[in-house]
Amino acid sequence: MAHMIERHRHIIDFTLATLLRRKGKNGGLLLVYTLIIFVLASVIFFTEAIKREAMLVLRDSPEIIVQRTLAGRYQTVPISWCDGIGSIRGVSSVQPRLWGYHFDRTRRANYTFMVPAQAPPQSGHVDLGSAVARIQGATAGDTIALQGHDGAPRAFTVRKVLESESQLLTADLILISERDYRDFSGLPAGQATDLVLQVRNQREYATIVEKIARMHHDARPILRSEILRTYDAVFDWRSGVMIVIFSAAALAFLIFAWDKATGLSADERTEIGILKAVGWESSDILLMKFWEGTAISLTAFMVGTILAYVHVFLTSATLFAPVLKGWSTLYPYFRLTPWLDFRQVATLFLLTVVPYTITTIVPSWRAATIDPDVVMR
Amino acid sequence: MISVRNVSKVFNAGRPNAVTAVGGVSLDVRMEETTLFKGPSGSGKTTLLGLIGCMARPSAGRIFLNEREITSLPERFLTDIRRATFGFIFQQFNLIKGVSALENVMLPAYPTGEKFSRLRGRAMATLAMLGLEQRAEAKIEWLSGGEAQRVAIARALINNPAVVIADEPTAHLDTKLSLEFIGIMRELKSRGTTIIIASHDPIVCDSGLAGQVVELRDGRIVAGGAAP
Repeated sequence: MAHMIERHRHIIDFTLATLLRRKGKNGGLLLVYTLIIFVLASVIFFTEAIKREAMLVLRDSPEIIVQRTLAGRYQTVPISWCDGIGSIRGVSSVQPRLWGYHFDRTRRANYTFMVPAQAPPQSGHVDLGSAVARIQGATAGDTIALQGHDGAPRAFTVRKVLESESQLLTADLILISERDYRDFSGLPAGQATDLVLQVRNQREYATIVEKIARMHHDARPILRSEILRTYDAVFDWRSGVMIVIFSAAALAFLIFAWDKATGLSADERTEIGILKAVGWESSDILLMKFWEGTAISLTAFMVGTILAYVHVFLTSATLFAPVLKGWSTLYPYFRLTPWLDFRQVATLFLLTVVPYTITTIVPSWRAATIDPDVVMR
Repeated sequence: MISVRNVSKVFNAGRPNAVTAVGGVSLDVRMEETTLFKGPSGSGKTTLLGLIGCMARPSAGRIFLNEREITSLPERFLTDIRRATFGFIFQQFNLIKGVSALENVMLPAYPTGEKFSRLRGRAMATLAMLGLEQRAEAKIEWLSGGEAQRVAIARALINNPAVVIADEPTAHLDTKLSLEFIGIMRELKSRGTTIIIASHDPIVCDSGLAGQVVELRDGRIVAGGAAP
């Protein structure tokens, strides 16, 4: 056993020395390989992270939301609907919600206004999400001014800056009192943005949705699971498109790796011949080639993965965010919550290291079977 | 005793460019003696050395090492025999560039899994025996021709082989270094090492080093060799 470990150690030492001796060739391979893994890992990390963000956002959201449409466009909902919908068997509560978007022309940013159901700020006060606070340069106690629906500015005192597990949840959020919101947005009394329902038994969702649709033909009930599915579909589709485009680059890399592994230079052939002539077996050469491939692929995998992690979670995926996020779907500036799933890393490993290893097996075997007398001829 | 019996080696067999490098050679190489293969370029000396040293298989005939036939052994066993029994000194030295003299010397012993400190000590001792202990960490490309030759000799000796095979060892050396090489071979011979040299260099051929001289021409023995 000790002999076997020492044998591996000697061969690994020599392999690393060999890799360093051919810095240009191996460095180029490592660079391209790392870049491939970086792109792929960034896409996977970003897609999964943003889907998780969506899940966090929706985790505490109501099971059913009721909106109203007119000619296919959203309309405000009469609060009077609450009584009828609340009387449906299985519905434990119905609450009107007041919320909406606001585009800040001065700072060219979108905010989400919301009237919280519990502990709303007093009139004249607001709570700010972290991104809004950053953009406004405001902290607790400061006063900010925003232009209302009629063009007149309103001043608000910042009660506090919100913190949350998910920045996506609160980054662009402004919590406001009902009175201030109706004044700011022009939403008339007796109207709400939508209604939220709590239902005791999830098996009754479909029945309740059907009853609401029958009760109000212009109602549009939405289930939480449908929203989650939509997010998943949108981001899976985007990452799919990205990976399809990227697969051409990955294929080019595999051809490059194959060419590198098969195209033994005269020097490499001579070296293998020397090693075999002085007493190395084919299995020793294969072991050397194995460690060579492992050193390159694991280094590329680790560096590419770490760079992708930094790129996605510390720099907010600067390179791919416009493609993957979509500017109109989510608030454009927020930082994803750092998170890593072992299954993602395993998938990435299977998609990168395993194909490389398979691609280089045959060439390695061919290199290992070079006759030792090549150095004598 | 190494016994070669009716051995032939044909390169590119069955093709229009087939070449018979060695044709029907039989000879005995006595252990603890020095055997010299001499003859002009293309006479088959190098090919015969390769066959004896288990680096290639003959196209026909058999080779025995201490009465054990080795020609039909699987590659793995041939490698074991090559590593344990033979040390090679090549015409071009065939040292690996970019690594140190010390690592070049240790290379043949890597697959044995010997403890690194012990292996390093042995390699240093071998280099010291050849006067190269100060150059152990120097990369091969920094060494002179004579130093590189001695590193190649040290590498051939690292596994304590019973037989040292040298293929045109003085081809790239000047007279002084060639004489130095012969001195080292004499020293090895005095320790009981079997030496087989292929050379057509008069300095080697006329040195009186070899107890047995086998002359080859066109792949056949024309003089010497204890053929039965």
